[in-house]
Amino acid sequence: MKYILKVFSATFMSLILSFSIANASSGVFKVSHDLGFGKDTNLDAITKGRLFQVVIKTQNRLVRPDMNGVPSPSLSTDWSANSDATEWTFNLRKGIYFHDGSAFDAPDVKYSLMRAKDPDIGSPVRKSLSVVEDIDVIDQHTVKMKLSTSFADFPLLLTDYRLRMIPEGSGDTIGQTGVGTGPFMVDKFDPEGTTILKANPEYWEGAPGVAEVHVIAIPDAQARIQALLTGQIDMNRYVPFNQKKIFDSNSKFTTTVIPTGNWRGVVMRTDTAPFDNPKVRKAFRLAVDRQELVDLVMGGAATVSCDTPVMPSDQYRLQMDCPQNISKAKNLLREAGFPNGLELTVYPASLEPTWPTIAEVVQQQVAKAGIKVNIEMVPSKGYWNEVWMKKPVSMTRWNQRPADTILHEAYHSGAKWNESYFKNADFDKNLADARSELDFNKRKKAYQNAQMTLWEQSGTMIPYHVSRLVVTSSKVKNLDAVDHFSIQWHKVKVD
Amino acid sequence: MKSNLITEDKQKSKLEKAFEILKTMASKPSGLIGLTIVLFHVVLALISPYIAPYDYKAISPNTMLLAPSVEHWFGTDSLGRDVFTRTILGGRTALTVTFFGSLIALLWGGLLGIFCGLVGGKIDDVVMRVVDAFLSIPWILAMLLIVSLLGTSTEVLIPALGFFYGKGIVRVARAATHDVIAKDFIVSAKARGHSNMSIIWNEIIPNVRDAILVEGAMRWSWMLLGFSSLSFLGFGVSPPTPDWGLMISNARGLMSFAYWSVIAPIVGLSSLIIGINLTADAFAKALGIDRSTKAPV
Repeated sequence: MKYILKVFSATFMSLILSFSIANASSGVFKVSHDLGFGKDTNLDAITKGRLFQVVIKTQNRLVRPDMNGVPSPSLSTDWSANSDATEWTFNLRKGIYFHDGSAFDAPDVKYSLMRAKDPDIGSPVRKSLSVVEDIDVIDQHTVKMKLSTSFADFPLLLTDYRLRMIPEGSGDTIGQTGVGTGPFMVDKFDPEGTTILKANPEYWEGAPGVAEVHVIAIPDAQARIQALLTGQIDMNRYVPFNQKKIFDSNSKFTTTVIPTGNWRGVVMRTDTAPFDNPKVRKAFRLAVDRQELVDLVMGGAATVSCDTPVMPSDQYRLQMDCPQNISKAKNLLREAGFPNGLELTVYPASLEPTWPTIAEVVQQQVAKAGIKVNIEMVPSKGYWNEVWMKKPVSMTRWNQRPADTILHEAYHSGAKWNESYFKNADFDKNLADARSELDFNKRKKAYQNAQMTLWEQSGTMIPYHVSRLVVTSSKVKNLDAVDHFSIQWHKVKVD
Repeated sequence: MKSNLITEDKQKSKLEKAFEILKTMASKPSGLIGLTIVLFHVVLALISPYIAPYDYKAISPNTMLLAPSVEHWFGTDSLGRDVFTRTILGGRTALTVTFFGSLIALLWGGLLGIFCGLVGGKIDDVVMRVVDAFLSIPWILAMLLIVSLLGTSTEVLIPALGFFYGKGIVRVARAATHDVIAKDFIVSAKARGHSNMSIIWNEIIPNVRDAILVEGAMRWSWMLLGFSSLSFLGFGVSPPTPDWGLMISNARGLMSFAYWSVIAPIVGLSSLIIGINLTADAFAKALGIDRSTKAPV
């Protein structure tokens, strides 16, 4: 009997032990970032230099996009609007704690969102959040957001990847601490080296699958590929399609193709001659063969865009064709006073692996319209501070956002990240009309009018929305096959 | 009439001397191989625009990454461009930039070194400390700074490379000048009241020229490597100019499945560097300079 009891106890203990081990966080998940913001890199999600590879793992939003992009509960469990959609009430999840031990409640929501509207901080997300006039704390777990206008898609706006909840009053230190309610906690922040995140065992969706995440700075795109090949990192979400073959035949890696609303482009500053002339801008954009760019740069894995930043799957996207039209481009240049063509210089950096190739292909395409493009490579480090929005023509890349957010953020005359310095009263009015319109069809019409204005006047050439080739080490399990900002990072495991 | 005859004799003797040197260089297998490689590259660079089978800029999604074939001897790159065309034209860019860069390096480095070696004193001290200071700066960082500020055109690259590779020549020329400066013919020239310029031109240059030329030849191969490194990093010539460093950089990620797009420029660059090194070695030996003891100071 004693023996049976011993055997039973030992088996029971082994089961408990193995169960605990199976559910404990273990292993290290290693990823990289490109150090594109140089010395400005920080952990404050609403600033320009936010290191999103970290904050998306340490902080939560009120509302997050589900696997189909539809707003779904995160730190807010449910929400409702009044009849004209000018007031939105959000109920907050209870029993949630920040990494510093403080409880998450309504004042934190008010602080986090109103801070993003602070003109002194000058957040790039401020423009799209301008619709929020005030936030009332109804009780510790309920907030009411008062909007300046009706906005039927307001929860969609709150899925923005930067609208993260931080502890009330933590604004001065958040850039270094990255404190949030997320599945990982910042253990060491070293933007130019390796930033180490530790699993948050108290995470409200369950303990993370890995014990640590290492976020390593690797500015060069090819160096990141080599880092993946040699096991220095476990995931690369920016692998060019022409290098897919390297990984396809290698059992050590898993490749996934994810259609996204992310886009790449060439930006002309509309406040700088000769691009202050809309005819010059349109001539350049008309001279581009977008399908050829898709084929040559993306190996066909992208969706042609006619200079609209709105993603292909978005309900408000303007569907149109925009084939290369060299004769019309030449006519526009002639009308703009450039009968013999013009010359411009573009500045790609290797931080985005497709930029140099895009520049080379565009160079050949627009040459047919008499536009001579010089290509000058610039360092990756600090590109966003030194080149983007500084040079007359620069390269750009954006992650996907809902239509209202991206149109406001990249083109509204008052937007901080209005990279082409685009100012158009009709465009701004269409965005305002769209927000306040409760009828879906009329709202859609207003958003599409805004996109048509971009096609006619914009300074940004957007040839396509990319499909993302994500390559992971085959040791990585449970990684959602969706865009960066929809992934539930706590589920990821590394064998 | 008499002076014409003397000039012709001098030219003839110079030609004869050059021929003798070439003959001596070619008498050793390493020298012959080096000379052949360099000559091959120079000839190819001269005739490449006329024999290139395709437009080096022509991109096409229909011809992306084609393996070597009868139509495309060295295959095509990721934008569908003919690799053979770009390889033979790439040598032209590398040779042109580095040849003129070396010439500039030789001229300013050689003359400044000789001048410092002759005048000595405080001027020599100050100039050499400045040269030392420049030598302590990693050339690649300094070059990156220059191209960031002034761009990557050949008009910028040639003088910039010439400047950075001339620093070492200053020291070699100065050391070589010190070797001859104490000799009687220099002392006599000074006693006769000849100017520094006259002494440099008539007495020193003929005696240090060989050492400087050998050093210049070596610098040429280093400059070639340096220029290609810049292009590899994306800071050499601008696309779509065909250039070996740029071609290697663009194709390095495809090496495991489209080796042809990277092998041709690698072979081109390596062979030219080896060729110049062998030629420089043979040149030094033909002039009676032992490079093992006349290593750059």
